[in-house]
Amino acid sequence: MRMIVRFGKRARLRFISHLDLQRFFQRALNRTGLPIAFSNGFNPHPVMAFGSALALGWTSEYEVIDVKLAEDVDALAAKEAMQAALPEDLPVLEVKMVGDRTPSMMPLVCAARYRIENSGVTQEMLDRFRQAETVMAVRKTKSGEKEVNIRPMAYEFALTEDGTLLAELSLTPENTLKPDLMVKALTGEIPEGMRIHRTSLLAEGERGRRIPLMEKL
Amino acid sequence: MNLSDKIEQLLMKVQKPAMYMGGEFNSVMKDPASVKMRYAFLFPDTYDVGMSHLGMKILYHTINKRPDAWCERVFSPWVDMADLMRENDIPLFSLESRTPVKDFDMVGVTLQYEMSYTNILEALDLAGIPLRAADRTQGPILVCGGPCAFNPEPLAPFFDLVALGDGEKETHDIIDCYLAWKQTGAPKDEFLRMAAKIDGVYVPALYDIAYNDDGTVASIRPKEGSGAPEVCFKALVNDLTAADYPEKIIVPYGEVVHNRIMLEIFRGCTRGCRFCQAGMIYRPVRERSMDRLLELADKLVAATGYDEISLMSLSSGDYSCLPELAHEMVRKYQARRVKISLPSQRIDTVLTDTLKETQKVRKTALTLAPEAGTQRLRDVINKGVTEEDLIRSVSDAFDQGWNAVKLYFMLGLPTETDEDVLGIADLAEKVRACYFAVPKERRAPGLRIVVSVSVFVPKNDTPFQWSPQLTQENVIRRQQLLGQALRKIRGVDYKYHAPDISYIEAVFARGDRRTADALERAWQLGCRFDGWNDQFKYDKWMQAFEETGVDPDFYATRERPLDEVLPWDHIDCGVTKEFLIREYQKALKGELTHDCRKGCVGCGVKRYKGACV
Repeated sequence: MRMIVRFGKRARLRFISHLDLQRFFQRALNRTGLPIAFSNGFNPHPVMAFGSALALGWTSEYEVIDVKLAEDVDALAAKEAMQAALPEDLPVLEVKMVGDRTPSMMPLVCAARYRIENSGVTQEMLDRFRQAETVMAVRKTKSGEKEVNIRPMAYEFALTEDGTLLAELSLTPENTLKPDLMVKALTGEIPEGMRIHRTSLLAEGERGRRIPLMEKL
Repeated sequence: MNLSDKIEQLLMKVQKPAMYMGGEFNSVMKDPASVKMRYAFLFPDTYDVGMSHLGMKILYHTINKRPDAWCERVFSPWVDMADLMRENDIPLFSLESRTPVKDFDMVGVTLQYEMSYTNILEALDLAGIPLRAADRTQGPILVCGGPCAFNPEPLAPFFDLVALGDGEKETHDIIDCYLAWKQTGAPKDEFLRMAAKIDGVYVPALYDIAYNDDGTVASIRPKEGSGAPEVCFKALVNDLTAADYPEKIIVPYGEVVHNRIMLEIFRGCTRGCRFCQAGMIYRPVRERSMDRLLELADKLVAATGYDEISLMSLSSGDYSCLPELAHEMVRKYQARRVKISLPSQRIDTVLTDTLKETQKVRKTALTLAPEAGTQRLRDVINKGVTEEDLIRSVSDAFDQGWNAVKLYFMLGLPTETDEDVLGIADLAEKVRACYFAVPKERRAPGLRIVVSVSVFVPKNDTPFQWSPQLTQENVIRRQQLLGQALRKIRGVDYKYHAPDISYIEAVFARGDRRTADALERAWQLGCRFDGWNDQFKYDKWMQAFEETGVDPDFYATRERPLDEVLPWDHIDCGVTKEFLIREYQKALKGELTHDCRKGCVGCGVKRYKGACV
């Protein structure tokens, strides 16, 4: 059986790196008392997989971890155990149990939704972006810098009344548009006080619709 | 913008933001309105170093057990963060609630190492707290404690109170006294007089120091009418089993130096190595019962999720029921994948077998500390190991498949000659021969011998407190001599350091109150994180000594006559000066003193009520 946990990362903990979070979860899972399945080998560790890494400084309410269990556990009991083992600023939001044969979740992710505060983006900039067919921006990758057309990777975007930018952006191994890159392409710079928050991870649903990842289960 | 938001803005710009983040699992949050006093525990080094420190965990736990007090943590911000904080007018803050340190009632600072002293001044300045106690009529009370507190004189002008010895009870006595004083509304002077009566507390401002023409101390006397004692005795916790010990510890994000459960199995050491300050000031030996240790281990594993428990003490192999304890712990935790480790460098064979059998100890380097190269010099320092012991240990290890050995030595020990220095190379050669004595098919390939040589720093409250430190020129000459000898031996990696940091360390280890001026000046000139090689600025230190008229040689490389008044003579660390003189004289004759478990050696700690029964 596998346990899929959706959790949040609140402001105070937004500076924990993805690597540190992975180490942290190893210990947190030990604290739960749940029958976690361990890998074989000289240094056994819990069998777990994380969703897409969140950049340092961002907050989220849609982080996902997939943990293998050695025995069946009730979802509600697991949720309580997880909550007790995580600090306040990593709240447990949803727990679902799936069979061992369920395909891995992470390859299902195709996009993410973000809420971006203090972006400096105006309605006018957004309208121009919407009408453009091509918006070139320099994306930094492990292998260097690359100029790409980001426009097709921005699926939905809008400004709320208070000026918060909401965006639904492509998130796949081949095509990822990070919200800060989009803001930079729109405004020319990234304002110091900008806050990025991930509101959901999305997967392909029926008829090409994108649905929240947890609903895919 | 509030302080918390301002801090977060800076965190985007620093190397390791997680060090300033707080909010770790098991960190303690309280409602400020629900407590009567707020205590900031300041560790004057980085988060990574401080979060590995056991004393802080113990005091954090014991203070936070009180409903009327809240203890929060403060660490030295690394230089990038410190500079940003100054630029942006952000005061030093606590990790838990992000409260400015200057708004706390009390700030406790642990003194682990002389080279962290400039960090204390840096922290006070970042906090906006006047450095000198005499300039503070309001704001937090500053208390220091820890091993270096046994010669607090170089820091005396900066601190209100010095807490000597074990903190488990003493810290509560100080807090109780503070709360009682706060109710009266009396001025700070009154608090100092009240605190001077607490067991283990020394109040530097209540003492007058007179000097002789030659610069030595003439006398240290309590001020008339102050009520302060002539000699301050350390606080001693006799029953460690009953003493507070954390049952939950903070689990840091990110990797810190020691990221595991630390279980202190006993305090103190009976060996009596003459160079070792810890071996003197933590006397007598007090063991925590095996039942209590097993109970604590259970609770800590459940509360932290750590997969390693380290059995800590000054010499863990000396715990009276160590094989039983280790065996029981391995039995209990094996299925839960929790490893048991022993940091001690004196592992006896029975134990190694226990651990080896049951948990497939990873064969990292075997670490041994002969400390000196010849038997003569090892006898001088009363390091009760012989060459045979060492040969047996490494032969066993090589036979069992180890291929790496680390050997620790000190250079510049009292009476050391070139012959002793070259003895280190001889020993390395013999260790190498032990490896090749193991049949080729049995030994692990790729022999590595690391010879690590530090520079000896004579410390207060040890039999070598009268000894001169070897001059830097001589240290360098002997380092080179040893380097030449080691170069001829294949497979040896020689590690040593420039002697300049050890020289400054030696000044403050045995410094008097006047060295405080040099310390403050060095900090003004930009010295901080002096224990970090990349930050240490020797030329600034020399400039500071020059400008303040403090002669560093007077403190570091001068031999003291036995009848000289030492700057810490009014502080009682447990062992008597008579005992230290006796040990010094025996050392010079190369005579050994046996382990005190084989019979009392009269160190003087029996003067303390309930000690050594």
